[in-house]
Amino acid sequence: MFDFDATLPLMAVQFILLMVVLNAILFKPLTKVIEDRSTLISNSQTGAKEGLEQVNAITQQYEKALIDSRRQYQSIIAKAQAEAQKTASEKIAAAQAEAVAARETATRELAAQKISAMAELEKQVDSLSQEIVNKLLVGV
Amino acid sequence: MDVSSASVIAAALAIGLASLGPGIGQGNASASAVEGIARQPEAEGKIRGTLLLTLAFMESLTIYGLVIALVLLFANPFVK
Amino acid sequence: MPLDIEMLNFLDSPNFVSLAALEVGQHFYWHIGSLKVHGQVFLATWFVMSVLIVASLLATRNIQQIPKGMQNLMEYAMDFIRELTRNQIGEKEYRPWVPFIGTLFLFIFVCNWSGALIPWKLIHLPEGELAAPTNDINTTVALSLLVSIAYFYAGFKKKGLGYFAKYVQPTPILLPIAVLEDFTKPLSLSFRLFGNILADELVVGVLVLLVPLFVPLPVMLLGLFTSAIQALVFATLAGAYIHEALEGHGDEHEEEHA
Repeated sequence: MFDFDATLPLMAVQFILLMVVLNAILFKPLTKVIEDRSTLISNSQTGAKEGLEQVNAITQQYEKALIDSRRQYQSIIAKAQAEAQKTASEKIAAAQAEAVAARETATRELAAQKISAMAELEKQVDSLSQEIVNKLLVGV
Repeated sequence: MDVSSASVIAAALAIGLASLGPGIGQGNASASAVEGIARQPEAEGKIRGTLLLTLAFMESLTIYGLVIALVLLFANPFVK
Repeated sequence: MPLDIEMLNFLDSPNFVSLAALEVGQHFYWHIGSLKVHGQVFLATWFVMSVLIVASLLATRNIQQIPKGMQNLMEYAMDFIRELTRNQIGEKEYRPWVPFIGTLFLFIFVCNWSGALIPWKLIHLPEGELAAPTNDINTTVALSLLVSIAYFYAGFKKKGLGYFAKYVQPTPILLPIAVLEDFTKPLSLSFRLFGNILADELVVGVLVLLVPLFVPLPVMLLGLFTSAIQALVFATLAGAYIHEALEGHGDEHEEEHA
């Protein structure tokens, strides 16, 4: 069982030969492809990171524009509201003034008619009382 | 007792005694590993790998005894 | 080896139906000049090497950015190996060691699994039998000596002769132990791999002798698991030793060894 002979050095030589062959056909190419792949992956990772940063910048820009436009339209709305308010109040004031004027003329006309009617009535009262007097006096 | 029969007894003793110490050691190592896994279940993979390696080291002590036993049985230098 | 024959005779006794037989220490010898080599180890090794080379060629024949099929599988293995090497040696210096550790891992892994998965016994050799190349002590010693050479080379290349400072670094009293470590490292590496693989095959062989059907299946599965773990352990330890040689003795304890 423990019989050492020329097998030992020959095995050592064979192993070294195997190592050289495997280094040439297995370890070198595979190491190369593994390291190539890892550099490729890290490159595309940095690329993706840059793209992400770009996207972030664009998003920020867009959000800023959004806020700006929101502010703008809010001011437009406020302006329009103020204008509308102004027109409405002007119109209301005009209408009120018109109504007041109409009421005054109506009151004045009414008063004039009342006066004329009173005068008429008085006149009639006079004539009637005259007649009554005349009739009474005739009777007497 | 001639050399052959003494060799057979010696071979049996060699493998038997050589398995005593490593048996205790393997028991201790496994117990600690189980304790470690119970305490930290997330480290199970690492503990198992290290345990297997250390068990193999302890096992090799028994194997040395076995090699001696085999030498005594099959390649005894004292039996002509 | 009379005892060897005796054991085999005992196991092959007529009480058992002879479906399988255990053969330990018998080899199919080739003679090259005045040298003797174990032919069955070389046959199995050539098979393993051709499997690895064909798989690599299939994986890298048509390399694409998005991997498919064989390329995907080998890239998975490659990722695993790079991760293992980086964990052991560290981010800065692991790259030049990936081929060494990776070849160690792939070679041992395919060897172990070929021994467990391929019915080598169907191919009859005049003597000995085909099995995983890693169940021959010559293979494992060769691999672990290469690991030793690799970590010495790593240390010398990094620090020159200053590498020897680590032997006397904390205190010169530990010099013998530090020197002894250099011998025990390859010894334990080779014996661990050899013993595990041989033990797997022997256990499966004995069970097949006793109960030929179904019963050995769980043990075979366990054998597959152990084989994979042993390949991982060998590669991990090789990485750890190289790391130790690169780092020096002083700050080794601050680093984590998986």
